[in-house]
This record gives sequence, C-alpha cells and structure tokens, in this order.
Amino acid sequence: MKATVSALLVLAAVLVQTVVVNRLPLPWGLAPDLVLLAVVAVALWSTPVAGAVTGFAAGLAVDVLPPAAHEIGRTALLLCLAGYLVACVHDSDARWGLGPYLAAGAAALAVPAGFLLIGVVLGDPRAALPEALWPVLGGAALTLLVSPLVLGPVAPLMRRVSGDVYSDLPTPWIAKGWGR
Amino acid sequence: MRHDGSRARLVVGILAALSLVLVVLDSREGANPVTSAARTVGEAAFRPVSAGVSVAGAPIGGAFRTATAAFGAAERAESLERENEALRARLQTREYDSERAEQLDELLHLSGMGGYEIVPAQAVTRVTARGFSDTVTLDVGRDDGVRRNMTVVNGDGLVGRIVRAGAGTSTVVLVTDHASSVGARLESSHEIGVADGGSEGTGDGDPLRFELMSADTRLKTGQRIVTLGSLNGTPFVPGVPVGTITSVDKTPGRLTRTGRAEPAVDFGSLDVVGVIVAGPEDDPRDSLLPDPPSKASGGEGDKQDKQEEQGEKDKRDEGGDDAADGGSGSGGEDGR
Repeated sequence: MKATVSALLVLAAVLVQTVVVNRLPLPWGLAPDLVLLAVVAVALWSTPVAGAVTGFAAGLAVDVLPPAAHEIGRTALLLCLAGYLVACVHDSDARWGLGPYLAAGAAALAVPAGFLLIGVVLGDPRAALPEALWPVLGGAALTLLVSPLVLGPVAPLMRRVSGDVYSDLPTPWIAKGWGR
Repeated sequence: MRHDGSRARLVVGILAALSLVLVVLDSREGANPVTSAARTVGEAAFRPVSAGVSVAGAPIGGAFRTATAAFGAAERAESLERENEALRARLQTREYDSERAEQLDELLHLSGMGGYEIVPAQAVTRVTARGFSDTVTLDVGRDDGVRRNMTVVNGDGLVGRIVRAGAGTSTVVLVTDHASSVGARLESSHEIGVADGGSEGTGDGDPLRFELMSADTRLKTGQRIVTLGSLNGTPFVPGVPVGTITSVDKTPGRLTRTGRAEPAVDFGSLDVVGVIVAGPEDDPRDSLLPDPPSKASGGEGDKQDKQEEQGEKDKRDEGGDDAADGGSGSGGEDGR
C-alpha cells in the first residue's frame, strides 16, 4: 500500500515536472523541482532503503525524459543520496512542524549544488562556476517557495498510509508547529 | 536495526555506483547502447503524455501567456511597430547606401591616384530657383577646411569649384554653369583650351563647350578633356577629367575650333562629392585620369605602364605646361 502510494506520488511528480512545470514560461529560466520535493516527502516516512530506491527511480526518470540534456545518472545519484539521507533522520521529529520544510530546503540547496559539482568534475561547459551559482540559489528558493503545495497534501497522505498514530489529527500544517 | 542500517548502506552504495557508472558511460564520446536505449524508452513514454498535455493545456498556456503578457502588451506592440518601421526604412535605404558607398569608393580611388587630400561631402540641394545658375550646396563648410575656389570632384571627374564657403555649408558652381569656364586640354594631344559651361537651365543639349586656343589643331569626337591646372591648384587642380568631345562645330572663318562635350560627371544624379582641400607634394599631372574605356578591363600592369608613359610625356612637355599654366590662369579665372 505504502509502496504503491509512494510510487504513484513520485510518478505523478515526475510527469507534472517534465510536462507541465518545465514548459511554463517562468522568469529567468528557473523552475521549482517538484520531483525533489516528492522524494523528500516520501523519504520522510520511509526506511532508508525505500528512500534511496525512490530517489534513484525518480532521478533516473528525470534523467531519461527528454528535456534533460545531461548525462544519465546524475540526478539519479543525487536524489538517491538525498532520499537515503532524509530517510535516515528517522527518529527525530523531522516529520512534524517545520521539519519537512527544513529537510526540503536542505535538499533543494544540496541537490543542485551536487549537480553543479558533478558538472564541474565532468567538465560540463555549462557549469562555469561563478555564474552557475545563481541558478542554484534561485532554483532552491523557488523550490522552497512551492514546497507547501507538495509537502502540504503529501505529508498527511503518507502519514495515513504509514499508519502513524497521530495521523488521525487533521491539523493544518501551519498549526502543527504549535499544537505538537 | 544495525543489520537494517548496513543493508541500507549497501543498497545506497550499489545505487550510487550504478548512477556513477551510468554517468561515466553517458559522458563518453559516441552513442552508448545502454543510455541511448534508456533515452529512447524515455522519449517513447514522454511523447504521448506530452502531446496529451499539449492538447489539454493549450488554452491554459494561452491564458497564462496572455495574462503575463498583458501588462507590457501595449508597449510591446508599440515598440514592435517602431522597430518594423525602422527596419522597413533601413531596407529602403540599403540600396541607396550601397550606391553611396560605391561612389565614395570611387572618390577615394580618385584621390588616392592623385595623392590629394579630400573632404567628402554630400550634395544636399540643387539650387536652381530661377533656372539661371547651375549650383549645388554641399554639407561641408569652413569648419571642415573648405575654402573659396577649391576644386570639387567626384569619382567620375570634375564637378565644379567652391564659390562660397559658409561655416557648415558651401556652394559649388558646376562646370556646366554659364559663368564657369575651366582651363582644360585634350588628353591625347595636350592641346590647351577652355571648357565653358553651356547649360541652358533646362539642361537640354550638350552642357559643355570646348574651345581650343590653337587654330591649327584638330578636334575629334571621343577625345577626352582634362583640367589644365591653375596656379597653386586653385580653382582647379590639374588632371581631373572634365568630359568627352561629342561633336565638333563647323566654324569656317573663325580662328579657333570649338566643340561640344559631354561632362564626365552625371550631374543629374550628383550625390557624393569631394572637395580637394590640399594638394600632394608633387604635381600629379594626369594621374587622376582613369584609363580610357577601351582599356578599362586591362590589368594592373597596363595601368602602371600607362601612367609611366604619361609621366614621361609630361616631362617632355614641361616647357609647354609652364606656358599652359600661365594660359590657364587667364582661361580659368579671367575668362569667366
């Protein structure tokens, strides 16, 4: 059940990202990374293995689908690591309040930075260092900006399918920080 | 839990290694079967979904674009219109520009042959208000170094001389003006004469009249006339083509022979001209004269030979030229 929901969520995120978000005429050529948010949201309620596999699958899908012009495996590697690391923060209260947003922010900053780093290592001409930092920061900001749209609905859903004891409390996400 | 953690690390390590292998495989030169197959699958899966979204989302996308573009739409339309207008104007002027560039090129060539210093100018008006004088206004003046009695040429030959130089404009009397007379000589026989302007205002007939000084020389159609040159190069520098004899008058009983000439310059389409503001160190003599039309297709060597030949001729005729200079003074200035 949980695996199915996770897979569907990530698949939906990949599709929306590649066929809808990537064709929006957004300013400065930046786009929010919905796939990253979905992976973070799923990994928060998963085991490290499931998080890593989810991230790898989502990243591979992003790598393979047409708008991508980079080597296959770059996003897969980074999202795999991100899913694993997010899922490792299992015992803490990262699932509550602002925790998911902190995790999403860290991932949104770390994954593009890692992408840029791999580009630099591989000699990608687009990864010229001083200029390429601005898209990283802008993309992270944009991803964080739209993160409530993804994390808001996904968190209760994941909580319910993972059988969390507190999942029956239909608290709005903004109030969870206080009512915890 | 410990077993679980090590298993997770193993899985992550395998996946990361797999990713790295893919990255390395894909970053190598040439088509890789694994990655290209993966891309083909991805493309095949992507295309129907993308097409469906395109069909479904076309109205949404259009609305989005309209909404985002609505703010600057009026300005954008205006700027596009202005740009369109400018482009159309540029297209129209391009042909004109290329012609002007050609004329400037000819002018440069002419001044380079003689070693003259030339101020390029444009004929802005053709003042024929009363139809008597054949004058044009140039867009250069005293500020550009133009003074009275300077020679005006274009790529084809002699245009006229400056009669009035203002601060920013100057007036040129064309060689076809009735008041103009130019000391000239025949290119081939070096006989000297005077080329008077014969314009009747409306411009019909032959606009130049050429009168030979000597009574016992022959005038033939097709002979070319060049300027004789005046003292210190004013008002006319030597060696500039003036025109070509088109007909010889039958003048029984007169001491001199006259003929009609066609100016070398097409005054109907006068545009880019040059004012000769300074002469070369040495007298260029006939060096401004281009090759005769029949030899125009000749090589560079031909031209060189011809110029040398002319130089020698000039040296031989040095005595005659000195006399001619004196004569030109009377012909060019007093003869008006």
